[in-house]
Amino acid sequence: MEVLSNIVNFLLSLGASIFVPIIIIIAGLIVKMKLKDAISSGVTLGVAFTGMSMLIDFMTGAISPAAEAMLSNTGISLPIIDGGWTTMSTISWSWPYAFLMFPLLIVVNIIMLVLKKTNTFNADLWNVWGKIFTAVAVVGITKSVLLAFVVATIQIIVELKCADYHQHRIEKLSGIPGVTCTHKMVFLAAVMYPVDLVLRKIPGLNKNFNAEVLKEKLGIFAENHILGFILGLIFGILARYEIGETLTLAIKCSASLTLFPVITKYFMQALSPISDAVSEYMNEKFKDRTLVVGLDWPFLGGSNEIWLAIIWSVPVTLIFSLFLPGNEILPFAGIINIALAVPAFLVTGGNIIRMLILCTVFAPVFLWIGTAFAPFMTDLANQTGAVALGAGQMISNSSIDGPVFTYAFSHVFKVLQGDYIPLIVLVVWVVGFLLYRRDLLSEVKADEANDMDIADTESF
Amino acid sequence: MKKIIVACGSGVATSQTVASKVNRLLKENNVDAQVEAVDLKSVERHMDSSVAYITITKTTKEYPIPVINGIAFLTGVGMDKELKKLIDIVKSAK
Repeated sequence: MEVLSNIVNFLLSLGASIFVPIIIIIAGLIVKMKLKDAISSGVTLGVAFTGMSMLIDFMTGAISPAAEAMLSNTGISLPIIDGGWTTMSTISWSWPYAFLMFPLLIVVNIIMLVLKKTNTFNADLWNVWGKIFTAVAVVGITKSVLLAFVVATIQIIVELKCADYHQHRIEKLSGIPGVTCTHKMVFLAAVMYPVDLVLRKIPGLNKNFNAEVLKEKLGIFAENHILGFILGLIFGILARYEIGETLTLAIKCSASLTLFPVITKYFMQALSPISDAVSEYMNEKFKDRTLVVGLDWPFLGGSNEIWLAIIWSVPVTLIFSLFLPGNEILPFAGIINIALAVPAFLVTGGNIIRMLILCTVFAPVFLWIGTAFAPFMTDLANQTGAVALGAGQMISNSSIDGPVFTYAFSHVFKVLQGDYIPLIVLVVWVVGFLLYRRDLLSEVKADEANDMDIADTESF
Repeated sequence: MKKIIVACGSGVATSQTVASKVNRLLKENNVDAQVEAVDLKSVERHMDSSVAYITITKTTKEYPIPVINGIAFLTGVGMDKELKKLIDIVKSAK
């Protein structure tokens, strides 16, 4: 036993780029991959970790000095580097217990299906990391791995229930039957809903305009290389850099944003055989039952409204970050805030004006919660060596998915230390979720009644 | 080698899932083509160099190359049909 624990400790000490690949090779063999394919997956994962580490080092090396210069020149202190979701997923996967989240997700989903408590099969195994992310925060606060898995289980269940409730509206909006969204980013809709109820009452806001034309014109600004360059220019100007320094910073920022997705793809490539094996297993197990398949958000990405809201949120977030009290994060890699636009799209049913208002109202939430999560993510990154950070450097994400839920359910244990704020936020979220659930379900009923009316008239 | 593109929001997660899966299926069927995951925002840039576009959104837009339903590869429903369609397109492409 002691030998085994010595081996495990030795492997952990080598860092995430060694021990996570070893775990995935073992996991691959468990799902009956060929040895050669399993090793290929493992090494690809090691490449992904090493590549991300290099890139984050490059990014912080470019942005940190600019942030420091900004502080001394303007007094604006934004010391937390925004690594976006790609960095958060890298750090999350490096948690030693991360891979246990796969079996947990599958077992919870099977139990829920067997008990007929859900109709959704969550096929989005990539976003297992979202559960790991929440778990890491729970460990950061409570030091309890068990509690971390309890909270992760709650998240898995709420994702399935939320996906059940959303299925009808998502089919209406996307035109795609048989699928729903199991991503936790939709959780923000619970707190957006009460605000939207007020907005619906204001005349003039219910008009819609053609988002496509605007998206075609503005779309280039949301492409990674252009957006990165513009952000770099802004950082350079705020830091009062000379022209040459500003342009160099801009091109480095552009390179970082362009390369993040390129390297993150290797994570997907490495994990894809495992998630395919799980999907096939689940399809086989429940082949007699028509299941709704839970997917990640991009199948909704055909909606121009979402893209317009994302582009709108970029300057809004940037301006808030400079003046918002309590914000310490400098928005960068997370600034394409899908987790803000998608729930706004679902709550409003695609009404662009109300979406833009909701995105403006809720943009500060992401900055505050991004700030709150920086200590855990920085600690874990330093412990596992998943990401190279300089002494005193902090890293987080300015677009944490489902920020209110994630914050409330991970920080609620602070009640033991006499901090009641997370508990209050949790209650607000749950109440909002129940109200929103009623709204979604009443839409299903109303549409069913309409269909019956149409069927009745047609039969005459 | 012929190129097929699949797009999602970031060009990373969903699109790469589909790309990895379709690449594996094409290899099993001995079809010489490579599926590449791209960013939905820059999909137009890849049209000229690709023989087919696998989409995971409902699209009404006209594209210069054939469009394949990518949702089928995510859910498994109707996957065989879409795969056959894709293989036919690749084989008939110059």
